[in-house]
Amino acid sequence: MAMARHWKIAILILAIAAFVGVWTFPSLLRNVLRLRRAPVTEEQARREIVQEPISTPTDAPQKAQLFWASLTSFGALEPTEIDLPLSADPAERSKQLIAALIARAPTGAQRTLPANAELLQLYVLQDGTAIADFSEALPTQVPSGIVSEQMAVDSIAHTLGANVPGVSRLKILIHGQEADTLAGHVDLSVFFPVIAPIASPESDTAPAGGTASPASSTSPSSTLPSPVSPSSASSRVSPGPAAGANGPPTPAKSPLTPASSSSPQPH
Amino acid sequence: MIPNSTPNSVPNAVPNGRELTVVLDPAHGGPDAGSRGAAGVVESEIVLNFARAIRQTLQGQGFRVLLTREGNQDPSFDDRSSMINGLRNAVFVTLHVSSTGPVGTVRTYSYGEIATPPVVSATGKPLPETRPGTTRSTAISRTGLIPWDRAQEAYLNASERLAQLTQIQLAQEFGGSPELSLPAAVRQLRTIAAPAIAVEISSVAVSGPAQLAQMTPRLADAVTHAIVDFQVANGGALTTPAAGRGGGPGVGAGPPLGGAH
Repeated sequence: MAMARHWKIAILILAIAAFVGVWTFPSLLRNVLRLRRAPVTEEQARREIVQEPISTPTDAPQKAQLFWASLTSFGALEPTEIDLPLSADPAERSKQLIAALIARAPTGAQRTLPANAELLQLYVLQDGTAIADFSEALPTQVPSGIVSEQMAVDSIAHTLGANVPGVSRLKILIHGQEADTLAGHVDLSVFFPVIAPIASPESDTAPAGGTASPASSTSPSSTLPSPVSPSSASSRVSPGPAAGANGPPTPAKSPLTPASSSSPQPH
Repeated sequence: MIPNSTPNSVPNAVPNGRELTVVLDPAHGGPDAGSRGAAGVVESEIVLNFARAIRQTLQGQGFRVLLTREGNQDPSFDDRSSMINGLRNAVFVTLHVSSTGPVGTVRTYSYGEIATPPVVSATGKPLPETRPGTTRSTAISRTGLIPWDRAQEAYLNASERLAQLTQIQLAQEFGGSPELSLPAAVRQLRTIAAPAIAVEISSVAVSGPAQLAQMTPRLADAVTHAIVDFQVANGGALTTPAAGRGGGPGVGAGPPLGGAH
């Protein structure tokens, strides 16, 4: 028996709708996931429209090493390799890297610079000094505190150190002016050394929450620890979350005694 | 120049002759409240309570203790520095509460404009750094004067030792805290002409002030232990820092301060 005409039309419409649905579903899913992943603030949206990506004639796609906060060790930075077109010019290259450091943090928890922070200008002087001028959003929106402010500075310094040959120190300005502190703690009047960290041969094979601990630089509280010289910077590493169990032995604490009984008298 | 005005503080008596003066600096104050937590925790108030408790414990050990502020004042960085820079045999401890970090952990810093944060691989393994940090050039000029703006440079090694001793104690008291102190470019420390450290407690993101308040006795105990250890390790007599490298075997008030250069 022949199918009624209106049924044929209904089935055709349903088939077209199903086809369109299947066709558009992947991009719809992608958009939903993108929205979930990175909530875009008004300022970010404005910047995406207004600010053109930094590109130069010498841009070449490269593997860049960017330093964001570690998810496993609070207060530590972690290198992440990303594909990035990088200029041969040190100043442009530095701008591209810092822009990526702000815009491409893998997660909010790994962010070291506020999403709204903007690099207004960057110069590289002949002596290897990079002068980076940021918008007010950097000091006003970076989390206040020594650890967070120092990580903000160090993520820039390490990222430049790992990717821009010839840059040896960093000066941070806020809106063209020298600032006393970043957000009340970290000193911006100084030049920060730009340091290029490299991965140790074992680092990639180490278990998560690595147990390497700078045991050699601690000693019992009855004696002074060995001074940690700047040249042995590898000892200045975070023991990480697991280090409490595997780190260097710590001295047993003797109870405090009143001053009159056992305290050393001044000479 | 050395500021003429000093913030209000009441020098304490010197019990039992321990001649080391400890200057405790509750950071922020006045209009600068520091970090604020969602539960109403205000950094400037918490650190003042910490400072008062530490003062009590230190005084019990015979130390002379000064606070850079006794209430909700807001002395400048230089005002706070001026409280200690005229003293001999003194150490400086500035107290902070961060806005981030695992609650209940504590970190100690000594001054270092060295960009050497802990760096770990993706697996959490610490990475070495290829380039040495900047040289710690001495701030002592040929005239023997220390520029005010760089007063701490002559005490970097001593400060680092005090920071290490303090972090050892804190790590025992507060699980999850790092085993070692770290260098950081803490502005307040730069103009201190004495061994100086910053102690930062995590964090204002607690359920209420009581959660931080319960840390107070252990914090006071740890800081006091560290300062006792520091004094013992220096033989009780703190001396002038060695010119050139700063700190040397002993620490102390250092050469006379010059004007700002």
